[in-house]
Amino acid sequence: MVQVTAPVDPAHRPSRRTWVIGGVAAAAALAVGAGTAWYRLQPRATADGSAILGLVLPDADGKQQAVGQWRGKVLVVNFWATWCAPCREEMPRFVAAQARDAAKGVQFVGIAVDDAAKVRSFSDELGLNYPSLIGGYGAIELSRTLGNDLAALPFTVILGRDGKVALTHLGPLSDDKLDSVLGRLTRA
Amino acid sequence: MTLRSIDRVVVHVRVLAVAVALGGGSLHAQGMSGLAQSLLPADQAFRLSARALDASTLEARYDIADGYYLYRDKLAFRTDPVTAGAPSLPAGARKHDAFFGDVDTYRGEVVVRIPLEKRAAGEKVTLHADSQGCADVGVCYPPNPQQLTLTVPQTRYPGPYVEPGHKGWFK
Repeated sequence: MVQVTAPVDPAHRPSRRTWVIGGVAAAAALAVGAGTAWYRLQPRATADGSAILGLVLPDADGKQQAVGQWRGKVLVVNFWATWCAPCREEMPRFVAAQARDAAKGVQFVGIAVDDAAKVRSFSDELGLNYPSLIGGYGAIELSRTLGNDLAALPFTVILGRDGKVALTHLGPLSDDKLDSVLGRLTRA
Repeated sequence: MTLRSIDRVVVHVRVLAVAVALGGGSLHAQGMSGLAQSLLPADQAFRLSARALDASTLEARYDIADGYYLYRDKLAFRTDPVTAGAPSLPAGARKHDAFFGDVDTYRGEVVVRIPLEKRAAGEKVTLHADSQGCADVGVCYPPNPQQLTLTVPQTRYPGPYVEPGHKGWFK
């Protein structure tokens, strides 16, 4: 600490107590800042995929489906909506991948940020060969907890057979990326 | 504060917002796609502001960032306690959607006039604005309900622009 040598009116000199309080406050601010940075740098706490595997949602026909029934599969969970054109555009590729890789233990599951009637209509039109559960707008919040900070769609999460999150991806998922992740996880 | 200096403040705020968005995004690099880092949050991609044009007309505007667009038929406005009539939405650019057919979209900016059902000079009016849009890179944002409150001026001059979360530049 700097020694004050010139005569200073004690009433105007910052007291030792002020310095101490200031120091404590500064240290606390630093600690909070560092803590926040540390927290944000950590991989998401949901990396074990339990938030997804614990879900029970109705399918487009109103039947309750537990996502846990697909535990042990390589699970591709795609958050989508009919009002999201880029989501609809990539789904035919998911239909093809589901048909191709089902025997290798790959299961696609859609979670629609939408209502059942629209999902049924689009699923029929597309010939969807995997279940799409009705998540409504609540599904957006779920996707946020998985790292979708912008709450945008499409958002895809791929879980390995071990139930761990292997990939979270915002935006259309390219065939190259999908194939390489599925290839790695189905061999594992 | 002049209008020009307000514009400058707005530009600074935008630059800052982009910087914050990019900085925040980079912290989440682990496991997330690059797209998440370059995209704007919906509130910044589609910036809502509104003002009272006169005692019985509001004007809402969205400033839409390059590479983003809003759907015309997803815009909805209501006000309270003074209620609003039907807004006049400008024609958008026609876009063909494989599932919904032809849809109109807005880029750049869209300005909407909203008639109030009675004169509201000097009154506080809350505007509830719903919008939904997408980015060209291939993501869409969920419907975004926003609200802002403005005071309708007593004079015949338009009031200042107000943004959600702001009390207004002059308060």
